Amino acid sequence: MNDMLASFVTQFLVKGQFAVLLYFLAVNGWYLVLLVSSLLELRRHMLLIADESRHLLLSSTLSPTISILAPAYNEEATIEVSLRALLALHYPNLEVIVISDGSKDRTVQVLIEKFGLVAVKTIYERNIETKPVRSLYRSSTYPGLVVVDKENGGKADALNVGLSFARGELVCAMDADTLIEADGLQRMVRPFLYATDVVATGGTIRVVNGSLVKHGRVEKTAVPTNFLAGIQVVEYLRAFLFGRLGWNRLGGNIIISGAFGLFQREAVLKAGGYLHDTVGEDMELVVRLKRLSYERGGPGKIAFVPDPVAWTEVPESAKVLGRQRDRWHRGLADVLWRHRRMLFNPRYGVTGLFVYPYYAFVELLAPLIEAVGLFALVLGLVFGVVDWTFAGLFYLTAYGLGTALTAFTLILEDLSFHRYNSFRDRALLFWWALLENMGYRQLTVYWRLRGLWKFLRGRKDWGAMERKGFRPITAPS
Amino acid sequence: MVNETVLQIIMLIEVGLLALAVSVFFLHGVWLHLTTRRMEKLVKTGRESLARLVSSGSINLEDARVLRGLPNDIQQITFLEISRTLSGSGKERLRFAAQKLGVIDRARALCLHRRWTRRLRGARILSQLDVPDALVLKLLADPHPAVRAQAAEWAASQPSVEVVSAMLVLLADPATQARFAVQNALLRMGNVIAVPLAAFLETHSDRAAEAGLKVAESVASPQFLASALRLSFVEDVGVREAAAKLLGAIAGAEAAARLMEMLGDPDPHVRAAAASALGRMNYWQAGSMLAERLRDERWRVRREAGLALRAIGAAGTLFLRKALKGDDRFAADMAQQVLDLPEAATG
Repeated sequence: MNDMLASFVTQFLVKGQFAVLLYFLAVNGWYLVLLVSSLLELRRHMLLIADESRHLLLSSTLSPTISILAPAYNEEATIEVSLRALLALHYPNLEVIVISDGSKDRTVQVLIEKFGLVAVKTIYERNIETKPVRSLYRSSTYPGLVVVDKENGGKADALNVGLSFARGELVCAMDADTLIEADGLQRMVRPFLYATDVVATGGTIRVVNGSLVKHGRVEKTAVPTNFLAGIQVVEYLRAFLFGRLGWNRLGGNIIISGAFGLFQREAVLKAGGYLHDTVGEDMELVVRLKRLSYERGGPGKIAFVPDPVAWTEVPESAKVLGRQRDRWHRGLADVLWRHRRMLFNPRYGVTGLFVYPYYAFVELLAPLIEAVGLFALVLGLVFGVVDWTFAGLFYLTAYGLGTALTAFTLILEDLSFHRYNSFRDRALLFWWALLENMGYRQLTVYWRLRGLWKFLRGRKDWGAMERKGFRPITAPS
Repeated sequence: MVNETVLQIIMLIEVGLLALAVSVFFLHGVWLHLTTRRMEKLVKTGRESLARLVSSGSINLEDARVLRGLPNDIQQITFLEISRTLSGSGKERLRFAAQKLGVIDRARALCLHRRWTRRLRGARILSQLDVPDALVLKLLADPHPAVRAQAAEWAASQPSVEVVSAMLVLLADPATQARFAVQNALLRMGNVIAVPLAAFLETHSDRAAEAGLKVAESVASPQFLASALRLSFVEDVGVREAAAKLLGAIAGAEAAARLMEMLGDPDPHVRAAAASALGRMNYWQAGSMLAERLRDERWRVRREAGLALRAIGAAGTLFLRKALKGDDRFAADMAQQVLDLPEAATG
């Protein structure tokens, strides 16, 4: 019996290892193309923004009005600081709509007390079906502030309510815990001013853990020493600086972070707003906008701004991070399944022929293939088909190029915005880049597989995200 | 089985790449640290010399020597940095110094470069120093939108007939990607654009007219009245909406009379704009017509009519209170919401 199993494992390894190794090399080869693409795009961008006068936007009555949609659920502890930071953003025509999504704590009371809110008759233009709105408030001190208290319905529902109240030409969707850079909106709005076919823009989101935050602004950047948070810094840099930026040049962006994105309000309303029955509502909306632009015409360009425009707190516990990654992967699977008609469909141009297949066969299936490869390696060792030297070599080869690419991403950051300047930060970044493949990556494979499994079983729950909140954190000197 | 040697070769390549990346990463850090320190020192020296030159109004040989001795990029940084804080005679002195030290000549050479990034850089330097140079005017027709936008920014401080005419042509260019920059620059030129823009509006009825109307709204000169009235009848909804807004900015009996007619426009965007414009004018005589619009089938029109009634003061408030007791539930609700609004939120 054991001999038969060993023979099967040998056959499996012989045939499978080539496939797995080739897959790794092909994927990493493609990443290399993305890296070159992002390098060129970043260079172009840096030349474009050198010495530009963004302040002119501030004094212009022609700047498009932006409505910030800030969903809040039980944010009693942080809502005042977060909202004050939003109201102080450097942008002239700004409206801030806070949507309390059935908060059970004192979120609404804190807002009423601190921002001079007055209840007004609760009527609004119901553009999209949502959970009922309980009450509506306007501020007697901040003209652009609107607070909506509604029944709990999730983030997508809250954003849809916000869309109904928004008056701006552009809407900015964000998470309640996102910290936006003071001039972040000025940077994000730029593509809308210079091109008429832009429907949405996204910017680089950075990890705030470990940095010094005061009054809702990041005062001093630092790389966290916590293992999970530190590796996520590297992950975020890679995802934004070479992933999305690289695709930007190739015309294939279909992801805008739910933490901070800017959209044409009319286009979102025409598309029907955010979907409720998906856990990947942010990606789903972008893919739908892109798809509709091909089907109905109209603006469909998704622009990515590499400037660091917002900061977010990432999970520091494996349990919470696992839930997040599991949800992200379920969301990806769900979006790809919903819009499956785009796959290899020439009607959808670059998106159908290149971007969609990439997300389906690389992003979605990567954990599956990686797990098969790892499993086969362990089996090989157990049955003595491969020796430890070979297994080590195979493992290092498979992950080596990924580590090198991550290191190149660090260079991209350093050549452009260099927010991590100290030697300590550099050393930590490099350390986390090295450690990423030693356990952390395998954990994410497990979480993503779990997400895939849950998707196949039709699970659509979010799971709770525990946050420490933006208390002033002391950064290392 | 995959040959172990193949794996070793692949791994060696990967290790090489990783070593290269790490070396570049750390060496760049060291280089960055050293150059930043050096640059800070040089910029400080340049800033002090340039500040003395600008404040004294004459070329001090020692300061000129110091500035000339600085690398070109440091010179540029110093000049651009100080230019943001100067205007009038101070800026003239800065330009004079820039001319003498060759900063302007180098920027002009950049404007002629075949690469758009260099042309952009040249245009930025000349813009920030407000140098009246025909070379930048030519860049308004540059193939790259970023360069055109930068040239438009330069034009804002050069309000001559020739420049304004060139800018208006860009408003009519359907392909321009830098329309915002053009509109913004025209707006910043102020009243000087009134006559040419009025002439432009007389001859256009399309999207270019819409862009022009938006600029005209900020200038709000009575010279635009005839064009605004004419354009308020054209087929394009965007143009009619912009015309209504302009009429509200110009104000006056003729504008008000047309705006009241526009409250019955078939398009809700135009009706809403007309209501908002009447509120902006505080035209209390339109109270009953605005109250009628509280019963409009479209939310947006009802809201703007309600806000306009609130804006025109006591007379409008009376109409809103009357609507509360009326038979139309939508009008009553809107009136209630508008009356509930705190003063700060009525704009």
